Amino acid sequence: MKKIHLFIPILFAGLLLLGSCKKFTEEDNTDPNRPTKASGTQLIANAEMFLADMSSSPFGVHYPQHLSNTSFTDNSRYTTIYFNFYGWYAGPLMNLETALNSTLDANEGPIVNQQAVAKILKAFIFWHMTDRWGDIPYTEALKGAANFTPKYDKQQDIYNNLFQLLDEANAAIVTGNIKNDIMYGGDMTKWKKMGNTIHMLMALRLSKVDPVKGAAEFIKANNNGVMAANTDNFAYPHLADPANENYWYNQFTRLGRNWFAVSKPLVDYMKPLDDPRLPVFANKNTAGNYVGLDYGLPGSTTVVINNYSLLGSGLRLQNSPVYLVTYAQALFAKAEAAKLGWIAGADVTAKTNYDLALEQSIRQWNNNDISGLPLFKSHVEVQYDPLTAIKQIATQRWVHLFLNGYEAWAEWRRTGYPALVAAPGANGNQIPRREGYPVQERSNNTANYNAAVGSFPYGGNDDLNARVWWDKP
Amino acid sequence: MKTKRLVIMLCCMIFPCWMMAQTRLITGTVRNNSGNVVPAASVLLKGTSNGVSADEAGRFSINVSGKNPVLVISSAGFGSQEISVGSADDYNIVLNGTGQLEGVVVTALGISRKERSLGYATQQIKGENLTLTKEQNVLGSLAGKVAGVQVVGASGASLGGTQKTKIRGVNSLNGNDQPLIVVDGTPISNSNFGNSNGNGPDLGNVAQDINPDDIESVNVLKGPAASALYGLRGQYGVILITTRKGKRGAKKIDVQYSSAFSIEKTGNFLPLQDIYGVGNNQTFLVLANGDKYVNGNDESWGPKMDGTPVRMYYSFYPQDAEFGKLTPFIPHPDNVKDYFRTGFNIVNNIAVSGGNENMSFRLSYNNAYIKGVMPGTSLTRNNIGLNSSLDITKKLTAGANINFANNKATRPSQGYQGTATGQVQWFQRNIDMNRLKNYRYADGTIMNWNVNPNTTTGIITNNKPSDWNNPYFDAYANSNDDNRDRIFGDINLSYQVIPGLKLAAFLRSDMYTQNISHKEALGGRLDEGYSVTKYQNKEFNYEFLAQYTKLFGQVSFNANVGANKYTRNVSSVSGATVGGLSSPAFYSLAGSVARPNLSSFILNKEIRSVYAMASFGYRDIYFLDASIRNDVSSTLPVQNNSYSYPSVSASFVFSELTKWKPLSFGKLRASYAVAGGDVDPYQTRNTYNVGTVYVGPTATINTLSVPDRLNNAGIKPSFGKALETGVELKFLNNRLGIDFTYYIQRNENQTIELNVSGTSGFATTVANAGLIENKGIELSLTGTPVQSKFFTWNTTLNFARNRSMVKELYPGINVYQLDNNVYSSVPIFLNAAVGKPFGSLVGQAYLRDSATGQIKLDAANLPLFETNHDFGTVLPKFTGGFLNSFKIWKFDLNAMIDFQSGGQFFSWTKMLAIKSGQAEETAALNDKGVNVRETPANGGGVRVDGISNATGLPVTAYVDARSYFRNTIGTRIYEEWLFDASYIKLREVSLGFNFEPAMLKKTPFKTAKLAFIARNPAMIWQKAPKGLEPSELSYGSGSISWLEKGEFQTVRSYGVSLNLSF
Repeated sequence: MKKIHLFIPILFAGLLLLGSCKKFTEEDNTDPNRPTKASGTQLIANAEMFLADMSSSPFGVHYPQHLSNTSFTDNSRYTTIYFNFYGWYAGPLMNLETALNSTLDANEGPIVNQQAVAKILKAFIFWHMTDRWGDIPYTEALKGAANFTPKYDKQQDIYNNLFQLLDEANAAIVTGNIKNDIMYGGDMTKWKKMGNTIHMLMALRLSKVDPVKGAAEFIKANNNGVMAANTDNFAYPHLADPANENYWYNQFTRLGRNWFAVSKPLVDYMKPLDDPRLPVFANKNTAGNYVGLDYGLPGSTTVVINNYSLLGSGLRLQNSPVYLVTYAQALFAKAEAAKLGWIAGADVTAKTNYDLALEQSIRQWNNNDISGLPLFKSHVEVQYDPLTAIKQIATQRWVHLFLNGYEAWAEWRRTGYPALVAAPGANGNQIPRREGYPVQERSNNTANYNAAVGSFPYGGNDDLNARVWWDKP
Repeated sequence: MKTKRLVIMLCCMIFPCWMMAQTRLITGTVRNNSGNVVPAASVLLKGTSNGVSADEAGRFSINVSGKNPVLVISSAGFGSQEISVGSADDYNIVLNGTGQLEGVVVTALGISRKERSLGYATQQIKGENLTLTKEQNVLGSLAGKVAGVQVVGASGASLGGTQKTKIRGVNSLNGNDQPLIVVDGTPISNSNFGNSNGNGPDLGNVAQDINPDDIESVNVLKGPAASALYGLRGQYGVILITTRKGKRGAKKIDVQYSSAFSIEKTGNFLPLQDIYGVGNNQTFLVLANGDKYVNGNDESWGPKMDGTPVRMYYSFYPQDAEFGKLTPFIPHPDNVKDYFRTGFNIVNNIAVSGGNENMSFRLSYNNAYIKGVMPGTSLTRNNIGLNSSLDITKKLTAGANINFANNKATRPSQGYQGTATGQVQWFQRNIDMNRLKNYRYADGTIMNWNVNPNTTTGIITNNKPSDWNNPYFDAYANSNDDNRDRIFGDINLSYQVIPGLKLAAFLRSDMYTQNISHKEALGGRLDEGYSVTKYQNKEFNYEFLAQYTKLFGQVSFNANVGANKYTRNVSSVSGATVGGLSSPAFYSLAGSVARPNLSSFILNKEIRSVYAMASFGYRDIYFLDASIRNDVSSTLPVQNNSYSYPSVSASFVFSELTKWKPLSFGKLRASYAVAGGDVDPYQTRNTYNVGTVYVGPTATINTLSVPDRLNNAGIKPSFGKALETGVELKFLNNRLGIDFTYYIQRNENQTIELNVSGTSGFATTVANAGLIENKGIELSLTGTPVQSKFFTWNTTLNFARNRSMVKELYPGINVYQLDNNVYSSVPIFLNAAVGKPFGSLVGQAYLRDSATGQIKLDAANLPLFETNHDFGTVLPKFTGGFLNSFKIWKFDLNAMIDFQSGGQFFSWTKMLAIKSGQAEETAALNDKGVNVRETPANGGGVRVDGISNATGLPVTAYVDARSYFRNTIGTRIYEEWLFDASYIKLREVSLGFNFEPAMLKKTPFKTAKLAFIARNPAMIWQKAPKGLEPSELSYGSGSISWLEKGEFQTVRSYGVSLNLSF
């Protein structure tokens, strides 16, 4: 009898196990390691952390020949053809899209303002992308499981959509700052000017392909209020903190890569003009001179680094800001628009804005010190000349946009100034005019990829040499 | 009385058991006439249909009734024997006959079965065959020994690195199809804490915590039929390990001691050139003072190493004895080899075992120490094992199997920019490795080669290396430390309710704590820093099993009903300093200069299962099995989390029906089985990621982001369905054996992280996708070609061929990216594409003329390339092994060969050795007899034959070597760096001498054996070029071995082992 009892606990344990097959709840499988809620401004702030990448790139900075490589010259010789845009979609754009599609919290600032900032940033990022790749997914993008194979929209349609997005943002903004804003500390008056400034710059981009539409959008944006001081500048504020440090600091100091010298075309242009920005852009070589390095050298050429001017030390501090959209850009744009007859005032307005642009550019780069301005302006080449105004504006904008390679490259493609020579023997001796789509699209989104490549506005292959819509030959 | 009735009623509800009146219980043990137990003999009460079968230890219990009962005991190969039951309760039965002991194998849930009754393929290996040469990772010692089991190992330099096991090819789209490891019924973790990207230390798979000297046998259950009772965790096969136990019987104590010592040497170095030194052209650089010098460039495309006096890196350090001095620019042919040292490996094991009639006991201790072949690396391991069981009463038995393991290592890094593996990739052929050894000057300055002097002063001003640390600095100052404490095993109770009916309960657990840390010292490429992870894993299985066996005359019946609750809890905390350390060498998170990166992680998972299995046998000739299992998993969406799956199998021992003498055994078998699978936790609900914190001057901003992976609330369980059939034949008194299996397995609805177009806002989505079909054959031949008193030769040949085919993926998506690799912005993808074999490599290949297949050349006569070329699958055509053992007088000679045909891998090492101008072919003679490094104008250059892309005309040209090797094929043409992974490898050799008892008379030893052992002594043949190791491609946790990006140098070890018993 007693012995029989001994197995009862075993059987009982077994029956208990058999009976425990109840269902689990959803909570049992909710990831305890990640938050289930995110506020709109936290998502926007995360999107803002990607902005510096629009400028701080080891590729973009070479196309307009701001920097040359001292060693490992592959990037300056256009060896990379295909560039991945997935990070932009799955990163900042999806954060912004989620913020735009979710219920926002009024405790973080007026909801319309949160939405307006998300729209301005969305427009800014898509603008950057379409200028690099041309036609890209827009209307069907960012839909998650609803569409894993979005179609590619025409660049023209994307521009129209972005103009509309910026109109909506401009109209919606009310008084009241928002929280968690890295770029402007939540200051909505600055955001409003920023949105209208990029609207204006985008409009100018149509100068070759659709000047009528360009002029209309330009005037509208200008009237809505654009940047009016360098304090309005849109610059990523890096920190003296490894988690938020400047790209060039990372390259030069953290990785010890003295691979980037200021290019010969840029130094050769600036030096004879006594440009006061040159000592900011470039360091002296060991012998005490500013010497630019030939652009796009083959890797077999030995460069003695001491003989050339490396990227200026002040631009590669751990917390050096990265300028993305600036007051001087708005001024150069207005000068050009006046010269093109898009806005009133012709050469008079053009000259006023051009002169102010030079001054504000120097103030921006030289920490408000304009002591070098008179000598610089004493050179005839920089004095406004109605006969060469477009070239002067474009060339000075090229100088002003130093390090903001992708933007400078887009303006070079649009205006053709300054005259640059491709890296010798690279890419068939052509400077790239777009970047290739990510190779992953060929397998992940085959039909839409093929359709996009098959209908490039001016033909060509998915390489560096086809032209985007606004870059009309 | 009431409770008894209740219990019996319950039992009768579960099992068809027939209770008899006036019975008494008889027990016994069946042995052959040499005293060895005969497992699984039939015991029948004569004149009735009442019978039982003995267990694997030969023990049985049976109820007898009636007057003068007689038991009939029989077993295949032996005659039957009748025993009259007297007044005694326990009988020792001796069966006469010369028959071989019939195989009994341990199957799912630890149930011992007669081999003949199984309707599916299993293959068993004895423990002594696993420890031939004291391989320390038990999975590594399986290589080649089981048909259909592919083991891809890692070099011994990794110190217990990854041994990746796949049974019957690739069965899962994400490649995470590692078999379940079960030790004495306890499933244990075989996680891998190495990086999946192939960089950093290879910590190996944690099944290496099993003490190889404790293993009695390993049985591999290959398909779902064999493993259906393990459910989803067994869907990719099960490796069942049975440990050695003490023996019951007359009181007896055994002491076993074994010891082995081996020397470890590196081998198989990539051939490098010794003509040209550092630089990217052949002109020497010149300092301001006119001295020729060489800089910290990491290419060897420079001037000839002709003894020209130059300033070298050390001459730029004022602290150096040769500061400012010129030294001859000469080659150091063995500079890569010189870095390695001779290591050793020492293993000691002692085990005490014993038992009496009602208990058994075994206690073992194992200690292993490895001094690595790479400086500064070592591993220490300790294992303690305890197995015991005790009959508390005649019916109630309690047991415990407890294993403790401790593993502590300082490991080398592998991969790109790892320690020393980089010297083949990017280095200077003119550097004397020994000159780098004293890496720190007296004032603390680190001596670096990969730095440049100020050309005016001739002094190094920026002492931060661009890409490569001094390898000795990496070895001694930057250490990778890890240690793990682990306990696994079970405690159990079993109760023999009535003869044939046994209830058992088990508490099984596997618990370990893994610590991983890395120190980065001041003065190198990276910030000084410290990172540490503490990871705790707890797995429990609460298990109940009721087993009923019964013989009804010619019919045997066996039923099992069980339930299991599985829980897994992981918690980990990890941190890394940021921005340097506040005080030099203060390796603590508290030393972080900036806000440290910290994270914590929790994982909880539970599966509740019930299962039942029944098997019938008729006349020991016909067998039929069926099983069913239901799982409820916490990781699936609530509506889909309960699912069932069945299996059925049959076998037919036809040799019993034929009278053809040469055939000693013949069996046909067939099975169909389904195994279900769930998913990893937390993939059904979307959450956010914690982003970088912006600690601004006015506010701290905590950012959050949308993850790149889209979870799926509609995920369903996946199922693997397998049909298998086989035949087993033994001839000439078992001298020759053939075991053949054909199988087809379809794995459906796999849950994968499907790569989607990033334009959707997500990089991947969790999806049920796909159908992979595996078809294959397994063949195992065993033979004893010679059997005599002085010479016996036993041989086993295993062969397996598997074809994996992707049948379906996901609507609208035909390619699933399994893995990728990017160097210098050029990607290569490992894809699963619909209609193609699993694991196809897609990347840049030569652009070829479609008509002639000739390479197309650009205007400079350099080869052009095309993207997205399909190079075919990376999986092998067939794999296998060849084990031979010879007994010659007192000597044992064992040799294990394993082989693989087909498969391919991508080699960074070869690509970079060429790109950096170090490989032999970059300074070879061209067909004019001139070095390719000479200019084409001087008769040099690399000969290129092809077709001009512009003109379409054939071209033969000589092109600049650097433009060709470094900038063209080394950068763009990945076709050049794919190599066939076929090989034949001599993996293990041992030559032992068994001392005769007579020779040991004056010693305390009962037996003694001394052996010479060699692990990995030779690669007999490989298709890939010298310097690469196709059988050692595993690193860390990556699932498919196709990429070599700086693998450790092959290690060969030679030693002696001694086994003693007291």
